[in-house]
Amino acid sequence: MAAPSQGGGNGVSLLQIREVTKRFGGLTAVDAVSFDVFEGTIKAVIGPNGAGKSTLFNTLTGYDRPEAGSVRCDGRELVGRKPRDTVLIGVARTFQNTQLFDELTAAENVMVGCQAHQRRGFAAAMLRLPSSAREDRDARAEAGRLLRLIGIEEWLDTPAFDLPAGIRRLVEMARALATKPRLLLLDEPAAGLSAGETGELVRTLERVRDGGVTVVVVEHDMGLVMEVSDEIVVLDRGRKIAEGPPRMIQKDPAVIAAYLGEDSDDA
Amino acid sequence: MGRTLRALAVLVAAVLVACVPLVVTSPFYLQIYTFAGLNALVVVGLALLFGYAGQISLGHAAFVGIGAYTCAYCTVTLHLPWLVAIVAAGALSGAGGLILALPSLRLKGHYLAMATLGFGQLMSLVFVEAVGVTGGVNGRGGIPFPSLGPVVLRSAASLFWLVWAFVAVAVIVAYNLTSARPGRAMRAVHGSELGAQASGVDIVSVKVRTFVLSALLAGLSGALYAGVVGFVSPSSFTLTTSIGFVAMTVLGGSGSLTGPLAAAVLLTFVQYLDSLIPGLPQAAASKLQTYQQDIYGLAIVLVVVLAPRGLAGAWRRRRKGVGTA
Repeated sequence: MAAPSQGGGNGVSLLQIREVTKRFGGLTAVDAVSFDVFEGTIKAVIGPNGAGKSTLFNTLTGYDRPEAGSVRCDGRELVGRKPRDTVLIGVARTFQNTQLFDELTAAENVMVGCQAHQRRGFAAAMLRLPSSAREDRDARAEAGRLLRLIGIEEWLDTPAFDLPAGIRRLVEMARALATKPRLLLLDEPAAGLSAGETGELVRTLERVRDGGVTVVVVEHDMGLVMEVSDEIVVLDRGRKIAEGPPRMIQKDPAVIAAYLGEDSDDA
Repeated sequence: MGRTLRALAVLVAAVLVACVPLVVTSPFYLQIYTFAGLNALVVVGLALLFGYAGQISLGHAAFVGIGAYTCAYCTVTLHLPWLVAIVAAGALSGAGGLILALPSLRLKGHYLAMATLGFGQLMSLVFVEAVGVTGGVNGRGGIPFPSLGPVVLRSAASLFWLVWAFVAVAVIVAYNLTSARPGRAMRAVHGSELGAQASGVDIVSVKVRTFVLSALLAGLSGALYAGVVGFVSPSSFTLTTSIGFVAMTVLGGSGSLTGPLAAAVLLTFVQYLDSLIPGLPQAAASKLQTYQQDIYGLAIVLVVVLAPRGLAGAWRRRRKGVGTA
């Protein structure tokens, strides 16, 4: 395979995706895709609708099991693990169709994410042991901190079903960060945001990255992608057709062809 | 409502409930309030299971039955002390909950409803057929009153206090759960299983523990029932009974404990309206009893159509409306 190019960060590869293939019946949604994500960078995965971007996320996080290939995060194989175990390894994600808990407030949604690394269980909570109460206070404080980090603390106590679509995505991002990930996978975080909010999101993503979390983002908003990403991978019909820094991708003839709907080089 | 105000309201409610035997002196009428407590005990568990974790059970009467027959068998056949019997009843019904939790790990919605309904039907068959333990269709009589060491609780008032003490402990435990991490995990599983997994929630553990706890509470209710009435038979643990519990839970509203608690008491009273409303004509009373199932059914339909969040939701909305006006 081609030597992966390096973009920003400390040059250490955190995530290695190798020859991952996922089929649904006769359709190959992800076709022998390989690339690396380097620690401390933001990588964008782009491509036309149906390119396999979300399916790729699903194969990284245990929701879809690929027919072939391997995914390693910090040396640990992710393929074959349950979604929850990928979270415990340090891979957190959001969904294209946000999966918030509608009856819970924004803060409570984020507090659920904090549970990933909490220890006190059922019995301690039933008896309201001090250890359980302390964990609850810590989780509440952490939820407040994350919602402030993302700039949506004014929604803290709003039930999720009352949140605007764009804010829902950001709350889901805060919830993912609450699991203390090393790698954060965001599926279309800018969908439903205004231009101003998207600009804010760029700065938030940079803050998250500078806070030590490596980010992979699937996004259609090209302005955001070009501004925020250190590297871009382009998928078309399940296959990787280009990879490199934003300047290079913008000029890539295969990418332009894929986006203009012309025939690309596939058979 | 402020924290102190809420604590005060709970305290007042507890004192009022505790005072019921001082006001209602007739043993017959008092037993209706005791039955309300027995139903409330089951419904607290169902509120956690259905109202918080979103897992339906149409078979909870089976756990009440398991608890009742275990208590009967331990006290009458094995001559064990009542305290041992009730612990055994809780343990066995909890184990039954573990079995019922298994389908919930794979099934959702209607399919889980069918599986739990099947479990309930299967158990009601067992209650009839396992004559050696259950006494078959004739049931088992001669079950002794509950006793704590040498103290035998035989007065209607002491039985009332015993049952409602169990309800109080169950409510405290349930409230502690719902206001901490496990409660959020339950509501997360209810809200989105995908999202819960992505947040690192152990869905299997949440479902299993909630099923076991709710089955255990139902089993305790059954064991208490056996001691209160002194007689158990299969007709008390049928699909109709299970649906009655679901009606109370749904009417009470999801994501609430006080709503289902109030609904359990209200719907218990519906069965005994003739005794509770003085001067109610005999004809009207018998009509009410004839249509009791229809009243339950109508209550479920009306709640689902008009107030999907139940009594608790209607109360919250009213307060919110007042607050913003």
